[in-house]
Amino acid sequence: MAHNHTKFLIYPISEKAVSIEFGQKIEAEIMKRISNLNRLILENPFIGLDCTVPAYTTLTLFYNPVKVISDKNLSGKFCFDKVSNYLSQMAQTNDNSIEKPKDIINIPVCYDEQFGLDLDELSILHQVPKEKIIKLHSSAIYTVFMIGFVPGFAYLGGMPELLASPRKLTPRKFIPAGSVGIAGQQTGIYPLETPGGWQIIGKTPLTLFDVNREQPSLLKAGDSVKFNPISLANFQSYHEDKD
Amino acid sequence: MRIRIKKPGLLSTIQDAGRIKFLAQAVPISGALDQLLSGIANKLLGNADNDAVIEFTYGGILFTTETDCLIALVGLGAFFKANEIKIPLNRPVFIPKGTQVFIENNTQGSHSYLAVAGGWNVPEVLGSKSTFLTASFGGFEGRQLQENDVPSSNEQLSLTSQIILAQLQGEKINYTMWSVPPKQFLTNTANTIRVILGREFEWFDESAIADFLTKPYQLTANCNRMGYHLDGPVLNRKNSHQQELLSTAVAPGIIQVTGSGALILLMADCQTTGGYPRIAKVAEVDMPLCAQLKPGDLLNFEPISMEQAEILYLNQEKDLRKLNHAIQFKFNII
Repeated sequence: MAHNHTKFLIYPISEKAVSIEFGQKIEAEIMKRISNLNRLILENPFIGLDCTVPAYTTLTLFYNPVKVISDKNLSGKFCFDKVSNYLSQMAQTNDNSIEKPKDIINIPVCYDEQFGLDLDELSILHQVPKEKIIKLHSSAIYTVFMIGFVPGFAYLGGMPELLASPRKLTPRKFIPAGSVGIAGQQTGIYPLETPGGWQIIGKTPLTLFDVNREQPSLLKAGDSVKFNPISLANFQSYHEDKD
Repeated sequence: MRIRIKKPGLLSTIQDAGRIKFLAQAVPISGALDQLLSGIANKLLGNADNDAVIEFTYGGILFTTETDCLIALVGLGAFFKANEIKIPLNRPVFIPKGTQVFIENNTQGSHSYLAVAGGWNVPEVLGSKSTFLTASFGGFEGRQLQENDVPSSNEQLSLTSQIILAQLQGEKINYTMWSVPPKQFLTNTANTIRVILGREFEWFDESAIADFLTKPYQLTANCNRMGYHLDGPVLNRKNSHQQELLSTAVAPGIIQVTGSGALILLMADCQTTGGYPRIAKVAEVDMPLCAQLKPGDLLNFEPISMEQAEILYLNQEKDLRKLNHAIQFKFNII
């Protein structure tokens, strides 16, 4: 059932979805491989491919079995064979040497205490002044590992080690949309008001997810991101512009 | 065609076949929990399979028809009454303007589906008409139906819908003598739910696997469109598999095991990625059984192969495609 290869493993997760897995560790090389393979597949889709879902070490293809079973271009008896064979072939064709130049997406963040609900707590935890936390957080270039949890929620890797922080013992019932948080070695932005256990350090005035945009999510897996600190006055002017 | 909601019941939302194109942006699939029943409701009226229907939870629903309506209510236990007259389920029904319609429920199911000729007219959001409550988009203004909402249908009717309407319409309530009981499409009726083993199945120790495949689990009150929390034997992992799973894609039907060893069955509005080990996935053909469970119901799991699950699914799809022809045949369209 599973296709084994030295570099990857392919297995179904449903009658309508097959995953390819490259190891079980977060690694820049793996992220790049997944991102390239994803692009290759989206440029060369098979009939019945509904969408792809990139994650840390996996790429999952969702498909319509009724269309796939009658696709003569794919070899195999069952849909998951057909999709697995396609995926295996694509993974071996995937040339990982291609480096697509990436623009850095700048995200303004206001680290004012009215938004940075946990800045004081983190300052005590890490025994550094708040300003240092803000400086470290806004100096790194992050990579979007994956979009998950709720629409448009980007898990960002590449945070300075010193900022790594445990989740809150009791999650908050409501975290305002736009809040920037830290959990473990990752940072992320809450696109919607949801419950959440991440340590909140600031807030962006940008809309992370909007169904009316062609690409509703501001960020997608593989993007590079940098946070730019803005003042409270500047933050408020964003909202005035919008109104 | 137009109805006015008088009593919306516990949770009534507009749903369709689902939103499949935006999973990479963490937009869940959504759609009707019971795709079999919602699909049949559309077919009964000559609608397209992805037309929008109203999903009702239990009963206690009351609406009035503001125009003449051609509708179909499909459910396992629900029944409806129009002006105090009981109307049978699972068939096209013509209801004249100004009729009060109650939807009640007996003990057999939890979700029923109301289709209207032409489909309910709501805007498509990201390629689907389904309501996603968490992010407040899709369906009827991104929310559940409330008192005094007036959902209306698309005016454009398919040829089949036009013929069904012409044959049933008149001064009085009218419906066909024949019906399409959804159970004929199920290959399983007991609460033994067939599952495909999951990627992390082998993370669990022998006694956990034995418990999972032999002991009953019970649906708790903690169940919604995102997932069903199940009560039953706690499943422990092998000592060699205590590591965290890196978040990866999940899908409705997958059974996750939480850190404390409890089971969560993912449903239509589930997140697109998850970090709990996936012990199994409910066979697609048995998802309608899960969608009709009520808190307190017991279920058992029985393993089948991926091949079997796929064949069962494709056969069910084939049977449902035949239903389109059967309905056209009933109305002398073919």
